[in-house]
Amino acid sequence: MALTGRTALIAALGALLVGLVLPSWTGIGVVMLPLLAAIVADLVLAAPVRRLTLERSGDPSVRLGEAVTVDLLVGNPSRRPLRARIRDAWYPSAWAPGTSLTASRHSVTVPAGERRRITTRLAPTRRGDHRSGRVTVRSLGPLGLAGRQAGLDAPWRVRALPPFASRKHLPSRLARLRELDGRTSVLTRGQGTEFDSLREYLPGDDVRSIDWRASARRSVVAVRTWRPERDRHVLVVLDTGRTSAGRVGDAPRLDAALDAALLLTALATKAGDRVDLLAHDRQRRAAVAGRSPSEILPAFTDAMALLEPALIETDLRAMVSTALRMAPHRSLIVLLTGLDAHQIEDGLLPQLPLLVKRHEVVLASVADPRLDELVNTPRTTVRDVYGTAAAEQTRADRRRTAELLTRHGITVLDAPPESIAPALADTYLTLKAAGRL
Amino acid sequence: MTTTAPPPATADPAELPAVDRPDAAPRTTLRTLWRRWRWRLVAVLAVLVVGAMVAGIPTSSSSGPLDPRSGDPSGTRAVDQILRNTYGVTSRTATTESELAAALRADDTTLVLTFPAELTEQEITRLAAIPRGANSRLVLLDPDHSALNAFAPGVSGASYVPESAVVAPACTLPEAANAGAAELGGESYHLGAHDVGCYPDADGRHSVLSRTTDSRQVIVLGSRRMFTNERLDHEGNAALAFGLLGAHHQLVWQLPDHAVATPDAPHDKTIGDLVPAGWSWGALQLLFAALLAVVWRARRLGPVLSERLPAVVRASETTEGRARLYHRANARGHAAETLRHAARRRTATALGLPHTSGDPDPAALTEAAAARLGRPSADLQQLLYGPAPSDDAALLRLADDLDDMEWQVRQP
Repeated sequence: MALTGRTALIAALGALLVGLVLPSWTGIGVVMLPLLAAIVADLVLAAPVRRLTLERSGDPSVRLGEAVTVDLLVGNPSRRPLRARIRDAWYPSAWAPGTSLTASRHSVTVPAGERRRITTRLAPTRRGDHRSGRVTVRSLGPLGLAGRQAGLDAPWRVRALPPFASRKHLPSRLARLRELDGRTSVLTRGQGTEFDSLREYLPGDDVRSIDWRASARRSVVAVRTWRPERDRHVLVVLDTGRTSAGRVGDAPRLDAALDAALLLTALATKAGDRVDLLAHDRQRRAAVAGRSPSEILPAFTDAMALLEPALIETDLRAMVSTALRMAPHRSLIVLLTGLDAHQIEDGLLPQLPLLVKRHEVVLASVADPRLDELVNTPRTTVRDVYGTAAAEQTRADRRRTAELLTRHGITVLDAPPESIAPALADTYLTLKAAGRL
Repeated sequence: MTTTAPPPATADPAELPAVDRPDAAPRTTLRTLWRRWRWRLVAVLAVLVVGAMVAGIPTSSSSGPLDPRSGDPSGTRAVDQILRNTYGVTSRTATTESELAAALRADDTTLVLTFPAELTEQEITRLAAIPRGANSRLVLLDPDHSALNAFAPGVSGASYVPESAVVAPACTLPEAANAGAAELGGESYHLGAHDVGCYPDADGRHSVLSRTTDSRQVIVLGSRRMFTNERLDHEGNAALAFGLLGAHHQLVWQLPDHAVATPDAPHDKTIGDLVPAGWSWGALQLLFAALLAVVWRARRLGPVLSERLPAVVRASETTEGRARLYHRANARGHAAETLRHAARRRTATALGLPHTSGDPDPAALTEAAAARLGRPSADLQQLLYGPAPSDDAALLRLADDLDDMEWQVRQP
């Protein structure tokens, strides 16, 4: 049972009647008894709630930061019309900030035996699965004084996918990939490039690529074109442990890493390489392998949507051994992890020879712009100087670790969140151009 | 990147200004006006009603007209203060009949009945019967008929002149003669047989009259205006006021108080007394309405949903914690060495020196930097490899010096 404001208002207006005309218990009875009778009548005449049918439809997934609508079809099988306030409850992070109260409430009238559609607009603020709560229906009587209320189940799930904000960098990287690809006259020759075809010499071509033997056979000067190797294997390894949980700017490090992984995946897929994904902290959190090029990005985003940073230390040994099992042949292994000195020295260094012997390894780490801020802010107090010193110490530690890894033959990237994705894509292109895949 | 811009709010179109909806612009009907302004109207009405109620509550204001403590334009604080300070007069106020009676009996006293009409007929009769003290003066300001009869029998009020009229004294009363012309309009009187009249009007009636029996004097004025703070400094008002009120050492102001002076008057009412009795039943009914409102508001539309959110830790937390540790431990030496190390590395990069395994060669670095900056190399040696700073100021200075040096090295 639920009352409405109208009931209280009528009772309050009744105070005028009691005060002016009938200042006695009789007057109060004259006001209250008919009001109570009307409330009971309203409760009896309201459409039954529990017999309503609810059906959901709508988008099952949305990119983080975009809005999605979910429909709810309310069917009224009774013989009384339904006038209802409906709350379509979702967990708080499913709503655009500040709209949870207004967007979840609906007023609807459903005539007897008919159905009506109500639309709820969600804009998730957090990656992952968002589930609906119960649908609460308050069915008001014909007088609008009171109503019946109950909660009904209509489960639905909206998956918020990673936003892939770095996709704006994709066209320029694809253009560079085409340059590598022998489709343009600018050629880079490397030990790993493959012979593609012969074509007529055009002014501007590198004279070193003229194939004299072929030119001798023809009447024109022929040049060889090259293309970078294809069908290589790329394994993206995401560290979802403690270091990925730290917030850098507005989002955890993991989000920046996901963004970089998505850009690399999109680029490598276009370049004709196979890409696999592994997410690991103390245990394997997600793995996507052997997908065809057309379905690889959806599969990755779907798997990434559910990844959450775990507040535990990553087991780098287990991670590397899992990665080695997923990459039996020569691959490009991209480790998206932190640059913590002790973690790298304890976990990664012992495994490095195994890793580097067979694979090309890139380690990308999301740097914290706050460190630069600490170093570059004007110093007025001694506290600021200590802040600068601590930031310099952290940077020096990271640099030392990076230099250590570089000496072992690993390419190390340490870039702030907004540039880690393009930096990783550029590194990939450089390696590909140099034929090191 | 988890925060997103909220979608445009779907506001009630009636709440938007008409210019935002060109198609609806000509349709600013009475209805939309009413919808837009109704809450403001309600608010204004509520303010007016409450204001009227507050204004209706009787106030017990302490300062009325001619109150010697009041600095208002209608008060008499100015004349009272000057009499006290310059003429050495002691003044007090009298409100009750017994206080007035005591003032009448006292010797060497001036009693000013500012509002004789506030006294009841019986009070005036009783006061007039009191034997007056020697050397005393009673000043009646604009007395009514009964006060005139009691204190100055034989005098009668005649006509009324505008109060602002300026009149010449034309009499032998020394106070009036000294003062000269003053603002003495108001009531004017026909004199009794032995009275001295001053400030006559065209028809021979007087605004001030004085009657002396032995050393006991009664002075009647037809106007109160000249004593007020506002008018005291006009014409001869002040001189006349000082002359009339400053003749004796004691000065007593009558201060009418409605509640005390007229005990027959009904007491002040509280707002509760003014509400008709039936409204307590109305209040009971309102209580029932409030209960219904509680039931209305208490019922939620479904349960509260709470969510497990991932932990949020700033990545720079450890670095900032380390800075606080340095600070607490006063680790000046360590901080200085860290800053120097970073500066050496960057300077070496800028100068194109190799810095394998972290640190460049000290001698080469100081030489190269000295050559670039044109500073003595011992200076740079001190800056880049010197001892730890001894206090906080030195540490701050070192940090600034390193910054300057780096900046200069980077200049092309």
